[in-house]
Amino acid sequence: MVLAALPTVSDLSVRSALTRLSAEFPELGHRSIVLVVRTCREELRGSPNDALPELVERLARQRLRAPAV
Amino acid sequence: MGYIDVTGVRHTLPDGRVLLADVSFRIGDGARAALVGENGAGKTTLLRIIAADLVPEAGSVARTGGLGVMRQFIGSVRDDTTVQRLLVDLSPPAVREAWDALEAAELALMETDDERGQMTYAHALSHWGDVGGYDAEVTWDTVTVAALGVPYDRCKYRELSTLSGGEQKRLALEALLRGPDQVLLLDEPDNYLDVPGKRWLEERLLETRKTVLFVSHDRELLARVADRVVTVEGGTAWVHGGGFVSYHEARTARHERLAELRRRWDEEHQRLVDLVRTLQQQAANSPDMANRYHAMQTRLAKFEAAGPPPERPPEQKVAMRLRGGRTGVRAVMAEQLELSGLMKPFDAEIWYGDRVGVLGANGAGKSHFLRLLAGQEVAHTGEWRLGARVVPGFFAQTHAHPEWQDRTLVDLLWHGEPGRPGVDRGRAMAALRRYGLADSGDQMFRTLSGGQQARFQILLLELSGATLLLLDEPTDNLDVLSAEALEEALTAFEGTVMAVTHDRWFARSFDRFLVFGADGRVYESAEPVFDETRVARAR
Repeated sequence: MVLAALPTVSDLSVRSALTRLSAEFPELGHRSIVLVVRTCREELRGSPNDALPELVERLARQRLRAPAV
Repeated sequence: MGYIDVTGVRHTLPDGRVLLADVSFRIGDGARAALVGENGAGKTTLLRIIAADLVPEAGSVARTGGLGVMRQFIGSVRDDTTVQRLLVDLSPPAVREAWDALEAAELALMETDDERGQMTYAHALSHWGDVGGYDAEVTWDTVTVAALGVPYDRCKYRELSTLSGGEQKRLALEALLRGPDQVLLLDEPDNYLDVPGKRWLEERLLETRKTVLFVSHDRELLARVADRVVTVEGGTAWVHGGGFVSYHEARTARHERLAELRRRWDEEHQRLVDLVRTLQQQAANSPDMANRYHAMQTRLAKFEAAGPPPERPPEQKVAMRLRGGRTGVRAVMAEQLELSGLMKPFDAEIWYGDRVGVLGANGAGKSHFLRLLAGQEVAHTGEWRLGARVVPGFFAQTHAHPEWQDRTLVDLLWHGEPGRPGVDRGRAMAALRRYGLADSGDQMFRTLSGGQQARFQILLLELSGATLLLLDEPTDNLDVLSAEALEEALTAFEGTVMAVTHDRWFARSFDRFLVFGADGRVYESAEPVFDETRVARAR
């Protein structure tokens, strides 16, 4: 999927998810985690702002876990 | 901006009786219309048709502005419905549907936390925001603070059954009056409200710019609020364009007009029939008259096909015969009586023949006091006793008689119960006829309207031979006419009457008042006291 403009890491919902997921999945590398998180954030656009950090983090975690299963 | 337009609505009961025929009226933008009629006339059915709960057999209902409905049962919810669920149910359909989808997505996510579930949840949340769900939650917070004195987050999971009837009503009314719907249908909104609550309701209805159609039997509320009156009677409905003050006069005039039109129609019908008969005889001898005879036959047929004008609706005749009997001079004595946790100890002496209005704040213990005098288990300290030959008869506020629900009225009368001998079918039907319940004799108790159940309870009091009537909100569900019949019956009753009531019109017919104050004090008053506020309790 080609995304026109991915959200930047300064976005709070991206930043907080990145911090925690990087610590949780050190073996996957920062770049791939950033990509997954930013993709999730883009897919979840339109969700209420207050709920966004949690939604992004949960979805990204699900996807980061998926290849290991 | 909202209106209701009812055109040619017809509804037939399962037993084949036509309850409503050709009902048409319009409630314009900003009107405050009262819907009145005898118990069982079809008011609630009509409201259900307007609310689209029922599909009319014929005719249609048009409305704009979003419809908010407060059903009659709010105030007596005893199941596990929560505050949150009630507020959701009172919201516009889009908010309700979004809420249900969100709740389903949350539950699914708890079961299986996968990517699909998360995306569904995210979409449900987003949809919740789009339909104004977050704004609704802000309104709900205002509503719970106003109605219950606590924020939404602190009471949303609370069951309605833990709230008083008045609190349930107030919660629903606050939600509807502050909500987005521009047309409100309120089925007995004042039931369970104490007098300050009723006054609050009157003010809110007077200041709202919404279109309101409400059913109420409270004569004071009708007089203050309604700017037009829709009457359901004789299987149809008509509108009085003025307030309740001029309503009785308008109704009498209408009935007289209908009777006059019907009389003229009958006279004209008879004249045509006589003419046809005469011409028939003359036609036997003259071909010329035969033509006139056939023409007259056609005219009569057309006249009959057009049908007579509607009949004058039959007057509901409710004849209550509460007899009572002579008792000791002192009917009720209380010394330092205190119902645990509800009030400060008080003394009272009620004399034979007294008519005592028991007034005061909701939650102050008035109903408990009556239940105690009726012989039910109520925790208390201090002394109380009934005088010689005093036989209490109790009318329960919420008609909470689960043992009656699946029995017919005739069956309940036939079997009797302790303190009330059974009567045969003939006597039972005669008594039911006097209470306007003859057609309902073989109906289950639970299928009766609130007002019919109330009248039946009064009939049971009549048969029980009670000499002390303990009435807990007896007029709450009674239509105006039945309430007046009850007032007459109480006047003729030879015995003592104690009645808890928030009906200001009814209360004025009493001559002593026992007031249960919000501060826990119980005191006597010669005049009705209606401004005791709600008892404050920890929540």
